[in-house]
Amino acid sequence: MKKVVVACGSGVATSQTVASKVESMLENEGINCHVEAVDIKSLDNIIDSVDVYITIVPGSKSYDVPTVNGIAFLTGMGIDEEFEKLKNLLK
Amino acid sequence: MFNDILQYILGLGAAIFLPVIMIIIGLIVKLKLKKAVIAGLTLGVAFTGMSVILDFMFGAISPVATQFVENTGIALNVIDVGWSPMAAIAWAWPYALLVFPLQIIINLVMLGFNWTNVLNVDLWNVWGKIFTATMVSAFTNNIYLGFLAATVQVVLELVVGGASQKQIQKETGIPGVTCTHYMLLQALWMNPINKLMDKIPGLNSKSFETDKIKEKLGIFSENSVMGFIVGLLLSLLAGNSVGSSLQVAIKVATALVLFPMVAKLFMQALAPIADAAGTFMKSKFKDREIYIGLDWPFMAGRSEIWIVSIILVPVELALAFLMAKFGFSNVLPLAGIVNIIVAVPALVVTNGNLIRMFILGVIFTPIYLFVSSAFAPAATALAQAVGTITIPAGQMITYFGVEAPLFRYFISTGLSGNVIGIVGLIVMAGLLAYYIKTMKKKDSETE
Repeated sequence: MKKVVVACGSGVATSQTVASKVESMLENEGINCHVEAVDIKSLDNIIDSVDVYITIVPGSKSYDVPTVNGIAFLTGMGIDEEFEKLKNLLK
Repeated sequence: MFNDILQYILGLGAAIFLPVIMIIIGLIVKLKLKKAVIAGLTLGVAFTGMSVILDFMFGAISPVATQFVENTGIALNVIDVGWSPMAAIAWAWPYALLVFPLQIIINLVMLGFNWTNVLNVDLWNVWGKIFTATMVSAFTNNIYLGFLAATVQVVLELVVGGASQKQIQKETGIPGVTCTHYMLLQALWMNPINKLMDKIPGLNSKSFETDKIKEKLGIFSENSVMGFIVGLLLSLLAGNSVGSSLQVAIKVATALVLFPMVAKLFMQALAPIADAAGTFMKSKFKDREIYIGLDWPFMAGRSEIWIVSIILVPVELALAFLMAKFGFSNVLPLAGIVNIIVAVPALVVTNGNLIRMFILGVIFTPIYLFVSSAFAPAATALAQAVGTITIPAGQMITYFGVEAPLFRYFISTGLSGNVIGIVGLIVMAGLLAYYIKTMKKKDSETE
């Protein structure tokens, strides 16, 4: 199973909001996937085991992992494109 | 009959009654039964889990804190438990869930009348309004005034979020969003001080390689590291041996690492409903240009925030000791010691000037200490009302971060008729007008 992480400042509120939303969107499409909310400070340690990184902190440190813009899932603007991108990455 | 059932369920405590309400709301917003039940139970688990960790933490730190007071004569008997247990306690307030519709309705009305162009979709931080309402209710003995204060806060968040939008966009590079977190209310008070600093030469340099500094200091923002250090320090100062101090330190670190993990369960439980509400609100304003109000973490990419909140830690501890000595505060900063909350409004006000952010942090830290200490009795009573949390006699809990300390303090005291509180609220209204003016000027300069 592919692993998706969402990171925010505390790994609790914003990242979990996005993670829950993405997980239920994927579930509705029949894609079974583990979406985890993490603390941005612990990202360095786990990024190697991650398939897709959803960032809600654009402009911060970037990684060698396919990245999706998580702000879209919060605002609803551009959410369809980002979700398509995510689905393609998980295929 | 209905009343009896209601009283019975309420009497079973938050860990039972909130899941029941959650399942019912879930079914109303058309969640599948399975999802609604899981969300409800997750909420109950989150409450119980939070109580377990709080009990564990007090087991480790209470005897040490008592010894510390005896050994040093410094009365630090109020433990800062951080935002996550405080959020849990706030959600357990019997009227808490009513703040959800309150925020949504006020926002929709203000958008409808064009009084704001901000849509706050951050429904997790409804707890911040609940917390204000609980404090005001405790100070005034009047629940309606609590809701009045929550209403004022909802409006202020939208107004300040709207005024700060362009500046925040400049700092983060993200269009179309703003921050509607109440921590920004402190920016109103920081703004005039920043203006004064304009006049002091040498405070304008911005030549710091902030990313590199953050890389070096970053380890101290880990809950495990900070919990261990503060636990160890406290225990050693209390006169314990190195061995037992190390044991205390690891227990405090454990509690601080587990708090956010349990807090995540709250989010998992609330997410389906928050999402349904957010989607509903967004659908109402499809063809109008609005800014989406978010929680602060989309700004977490700015290294300055982390650097300032880390280098403030020793300052906070020194001020906590000093203020306790003179009786202005009894708070031991612990779980909330990496005080991001003071750094974010400072970033917005100073355009990310590291030195100014630090100076503002130093100036404002005593306020967080004073207000969190003043709120401790009410916060402790609220925690005890949850029913599952036991706080040792002679000790209290609070939340050092307390986000909008001046607003919360003045509205709590002001609504109970205290002159200082009323004056504070009037000053704050003036500062709001000044802030809006300052931000408008800034926006026109950069355009």
